[in-house]
Amino acid sequence: MAYSQALRLTSILLAAVSFIGLTLGSGLPAWLAVFTGVALIVVLVRHVAAGPLVHQAEHGHFSPAAWNLLVIIGFLGFWVDIFLVSGELLPAGIHFLMILMVIKLFNLRQRRDYLHLYAISLVAILASGSLTTDLWYLPIFLLYLVAGVWTLILFQITKAFGEESASPTSASSVQVELPDRVTPQLFWLANGLALVCFGMTVAIFFMIPRLSAGFYQKGFGENIRTSGFSETVNLGAIGPIKRDPSVVMRIEVTRQEPHSLDRLYVRGLAFDQYDGKSWTNRLGYRRNLNEESPGTFLIRGQQGSAGPRLGDTIQQNIMLEPLDTAVLFAAPFVERISGKFPAVQSDLAGPVYLPFPSASRIEYSVVSRSNPLLPADLGSDAPLYPESFARHFLHLPYRSERIGRLSEDITRSQTGPYEKAHAIQTYLTHNYRYSLDAPLAGLDRPLEEFLFIRKTGYCEHYATAMVIMLRMVGIPARLVTGFLATEWNEYGNYYVVRQQDAHAWVEVNLPHSGWIMMDPTPPSNEVVTNEYQAWKALGRILDSIKLQWNRFFVQYSAADQLAVVQELKAGGKSVGHRTLDSLVTILSPFTRLLGIIPDQLFRGRVQPQAAIWGGTVLFLIILLWLGMKGIKGRIRVDKKATLEEPRIVELYKQMLARLAANGIAKAAGTTPWEFVHVTRLRWGEANPVVASITELYCRARFGGVLLTDEELQLAKDRLTQLTSIEKP
Amino acid sequence: MPLQLPVFVRRSFRHRSTRVTSEGLQFLIFTLAIGIAAINTGNNLFYLPLAMMLSLILISGIVAEYCLRRLEFHRHLPDLIMVNHPVTATLVVKNQKSSLPSFSLVISDVSDGQDLDRGVTLHHLPAGASRLVSYPMLARRRGRLHLEGVRVATEFPFGLFMKKALYQAEGTVIVYPEITPLSETLLQGLTSAGQEQTLHRRGHGTDLYNLRLYHAGDDSRNIHWPTTARTSQLTVRETEAEEQRRATIRLPTTVPATHDVVFEQAVSMAASLIQHLSHRGYLVRLIVGSSCSGFSQGDAHLYDLLRMLALCERCASVGEVDASDHHQVESAEGEGGTEILVQSWGGNAGVQPDHPTILINGQPVIGGVHGV
Repeated sequence: MAYSQALRLTSILLAAVSFIGLTLGSGLPAWLAVFTGVALIVVLVRHVAAGPLVHQAEHGHFSPAAWNLLVIIGFLGFWVDIFLVSGELLPAGIHFLMILMVIKLFNLRQRRDYLHLYAISLVAILASGSLTTDLWYLPIFLLYLVAGVWTLILFQITKAFGEESASPTSASSVQVELPDRVTPQLFWLANGLALVCFGMTVAIFFMIPRLSAGFYQKGFGENIRTSGFSETVNLGAIGPIKRDPSVVMRIEVTRQEPHSLDRLYVRGLAFDQYDGKSWTNRLGYRRNLNEESPGTFLIRGQQGSAGPRLGDTIQQNIMLEPLDTAVLFAAPFVERISGKFPAVQSDLAGPVYLPFPSASRIEYSVVSRSNPLLPADLGSDAPLYPESFARHFLHLPYRSERIGRLSEDITRSQTGPYEKAHAIQTYLTHNYRYSLDAPLAGLDRPLEEFLFIRKTGYCEHYATAMVIMLRMVGIPARLVTGFLATEWNEYGNYYVVRQQDAHAWVEVNLPHSGWIMMDPTPPSNEVVTNEYQAWKALGRILDSIKLQWNRFFVQYSAADQLAVVQELKAGGKSVGHRTLDSLVTILSPFTRLLGIIPDQLFRGRVQPQAAIWGGTVLFLIILLWLGMKGIKGRIRVDKKATLEEPRIVELYKQMLARLAANGIAKAAGTTPWEFVHVTRLRWGEANPVVASITELYCRARFGGVLLTDEELQLAKDRLTQLTSIEKP
Repeated sequence: MPLQLPVFVRRSFRHRSTRVTSEGLQFLIFTLAIGIAAINTGNNLFYLPLAMMLSLILISGIVAEYCLRRLEFHRHLPDLIMVNHPVTATLVVKNQKSSLPSFSLVISDVSDGQDLDRGVTLHHLPAGASRLVSYPMLARRRGRLHLEGVRVATEFPFGLFMKKALYQAEGTVIVYPEITPLSETLLQGLTSAGQEQTLHRRGHGTDLYNLRLYHAGDDSRNIHWPTTARTSQLTVRETEAEEQRRATIRLPTTVPATHDVVFEQAVSMAASLIQHLSHRGYLVRLIVGSSCSGFSQGDAHLYDLLRMLALCERCASVGEVDASDHHQVESAEGEGGTEILVQSWGGNAGVQPDHPTILINGQPVIGGVHGV
C-alpha cells in the first residue's frame, strides 16, 4: 500500500477507534452515533474501494469556504446544545467534537487537516476515559495506541516526501532509496514500536506520581440505583431489582476456605418496625466509629448481649461499585472495617455506613464474626426482655388473629425460642412457593394476602412473615436486607454479587447466642435461563479481568505507589515476591483456567471449557500461521539473496577466465574496478562488457542489492558477447 | 565543581542536538494539558494516555538515536570549484549497525559551524548497507572552502523532534573566482595591445631571423650550408622566435571595506582575463597586492594564478600596501608586455566607481568592465 494511502487509512482508523470509545462510554446520543458511524464507514469504504486519487477528485464538491461554513454552523450548534439541549459543557463539547471529526474526515486534504483530525481523536479518547472506567477502555486504548504509532510514523515519512516535492529547490534535492509503499520491514517495525510503546506506557503509568491535587475531581457516570437500603423500605421494594444482573460488588474471602461457603450473606440494613406496608429502622441514629489505626474502624458491642463471640471469623475484601446508598456491605457481623475512608458510621442495628454515598468504586476490608447457636438456647424458655428492647423487636403493626393463630399452631409443639423459630422457618420454606411475580405492594394487608391467599412471594415476603410470626409468639426478630452471594468466580477467587442477588432475611435474638440469622425463603423454582455454560465461564473470566483492571489501573493510587516505595526501601527480595504475586494475580484467570481443565476432563464436563479452549487454540494457530508466513517470506527473500549472489559471482568468474585466456589476468591485489581500468587499457573493445558485468557483481556482492532476473540475464548476455569478441 | 557526566555519556552525546518540530511542539502542549487534566481529576484513565504520550516522546529519542548511531561518511569533492559554477560532490554513507536500519536521514555539510543544506535525504538505509549519494554543490564565495563534517538529522519515527548528529568528514577545497565572459570592448582592447606588442627577436622558431658567422659552441645543425658554400665561411642560421606575447595583470588589493563588492568583481574580472589570455597563448603574469608570479603559460600556470586570486584578500591599510602596489607596477613595466590593471578603487580622491576599472597599458577601456 502506498504511504499516502496507508496514512489516510490509519488516520481514519484512529478517528474510528476514538469514536467507538465515545460511543461505548455512552457519550453520544443515538442519532449522532449513527451519523458519525455512517460517515466513518462511507469514508473508509470510499478509501478502500477507490483509493486516494478518487478522493482528490471528489473533494472538489466542497470548497474550503463551504467547509468553514459547516464548522461555524457546528459551533453555533454547540452553543445551542449547551444552553438548550444538553445543558452541560462536556456532552455539548463531545457532540461538537464529533461534528468536527466528520467534517475533517471528508476534508482530509492538507497536512494540517490530518493534524486537526489527530487532535480531535485524542480529545475524544480522553473524553471516553472521563466517561467510563470499564474494561472495554483497555482494548480501545490499545487499538488507539497501535493506530497512533502507525499514523505518526506514516505522517513523518510522508512529511519528508512532501517537503521534498514542495520545496522550491526540489530540482536540486536528492532522494535516495525512495520507497513509495509500506514495506514488510516498516510493517514489523511499526508494530514492534507499538509493542514497545505499550510496555513503556504501562511502566510510566505506574511510575507517574499521583498527585490528585485538582479542583475538579468527580466519579465516573451515575451511581447504580438500588433499593432496600434506605431508612424506610416498602414491602416489595426489592422485587424490581431482582431481575437486574448489574454487578454491585465483588467479595474476596481471604480468611476462610472459600468453597466451605456455598453462599455468603452480605448484610446491609436491619429494620425493626413494620407498619403493615413498609419497614423502618427506628434505631438509625448514626455515630462515628472509633479509629483503631489509620483507616481501620472498630465496632464494639453492637450485637446485643451475647458477650464474647465464639463464631468463625470471615475476612473479606470487598470492591463495592458506586451505589446510591451509603451502606457498607459485609458478612454479618462486622467487627472491624478498613479502607480509605474519612469516617465510618454505625447505628444500634449494626449496619455500617459511609457519611455519604461514594461516587466511585471503593475497596475495603472487613473482619466479621458470625454468632454460633449456643447449646444453652436449645430447649430453654424465652426470657422476659427489657421493655426498651421489646418495643423495637417485638413490635407488631396490628394484631392479626389469623397470623397469630397460624404462628401458635406452628410453634405449639416447640418449647424453646430457637425451636419455635426453626419451626416457622421450616413451615414457610416448605409450604410456600417462590415467585417474583407477586404484586402485593398495593394491597391493604399484603402479609395476610401472602400467607393465606396467594402463598407465593419472594424474600421480602418470607422474611416479613417470619419476623411478624416470631414476634407473635414473643421471640424478638428483625428484618435484614442485603445480598445473598452465590456466584463464585473460580478464576478470580471471589464472589460476584449482582443486583439480582438482593435479599431479605431474618435475625432472631436468642437469650444466650444473641442475634442469629435465619432465612425462610425457599429456593427459586423459576426456570433458570439455560445459558450456555461456556459463555458463563467466559463471563467469569472477563469479570475476573475486569477486577484486575479495576484494581491495578482504575484504582491505582498514590498509596499504592507509596507501598511500592516502602517495599523498595525495605529490600529487594520482598519487592520481587510482591511483583511476582501481582503478576500471578493478574494472570490468575488464565492459570485457573489451565488448572480446571484436568478436573473437567476427569468429570467428563468438557463441553463448556472445550469451546473456550477451542477458540483459544484456533486463535493461537492463526497467529502462528501468520508468524510463520512472515518468517517464511523472509527466509524466501534471504534464500533468493543468497542464491543470486553465487550466480553473479559465477558469471564474474567466467568473465575473468575468459579475459585470462586472452592474456589479461586479474592480479590478487587488484580491485574489480581497477581491473576494469586495466581491461580498458589492454582490450578497449571488451571494456564496456567487462564494466557492465563488474558493476552488477559489485552491486550484488558488496552493495547488498538484490539483482533482478533481468539484470542477471543482462550479465549472461554480456558474457556471451565477451566470448564472441576477438582480441586483436 | 561543575557536574561531570560519565565518559560514555559525553562520548555518545557530544555531537548530538535536538530540536522540537512544529508538530512536536503541539504534541508537547497536548501532553502538558493532559498531564494537568490527569492531576486535576485524579482519573487514572487520563494518566494512561499521558503515559502513552510520554512513552512516545521517549521512544522518539531512543529510535532517533539508533538511527543516527554508527554511520560512516566519506566525501569526495571535485578538484576544481568556481564561484557560482555548480559541481557535483559525492558522499558514501554506510550504516555500520549489524541489525538496525536507519530511516529518514537528512544529510548536510558543515562549514564554519554552519549547516549547508544539500537537499540529500536517505529514506531507508538497511543495516550494513552503504549508499553513494551525489549532490550538486554551488560555492558562493571564493577562497578556501573547509568542510568540517557531515550533519545528519532525522525526525524518525514520529516527527516530533529533529535529532542531529555531527560526523567528522573533513575536506578542504579551493574555490576559484568566478569566470565570466569578457565584453567585446575589452577583447578589442586586448587584441590591439597584443598587435602593438609583437616583437621580432631571435629565438626558437622556424622563420629566418639572421645569418651570421659561426662561433665556437654553435650548434652544427644550424649551419646554413648554401651560404657557407657560397661564401666559403661557416655561416649559421638564426631563427626568429615564435610569437611570445606577454601580459601582466595587476590587481591592487588596497581597497577600503566599502568597496568589497567591487573588489570581488575585480578579482572575478582578473580571473576571466587570465583565462582568456592563457587560452590565447599569452605568457601571463599576475601581481596581486605584494604577491607576484612569473611569466608562464599552460593549464598548471593558469590554475596557480587562479589559486592566487582565490586566496587573495582585500587590504584596508591604505598607506603601506599602496606603496607596495606602486613598486610592483614599476618593476612590471621593466619586464615589458601588456600591462592590464584591474582597479577596484581609485584612491582617496575623486568619485569612486561602483565597478572595477580596467586600464590596458595605462589607457582605460571604456565600457570594458561588463561581461557579455
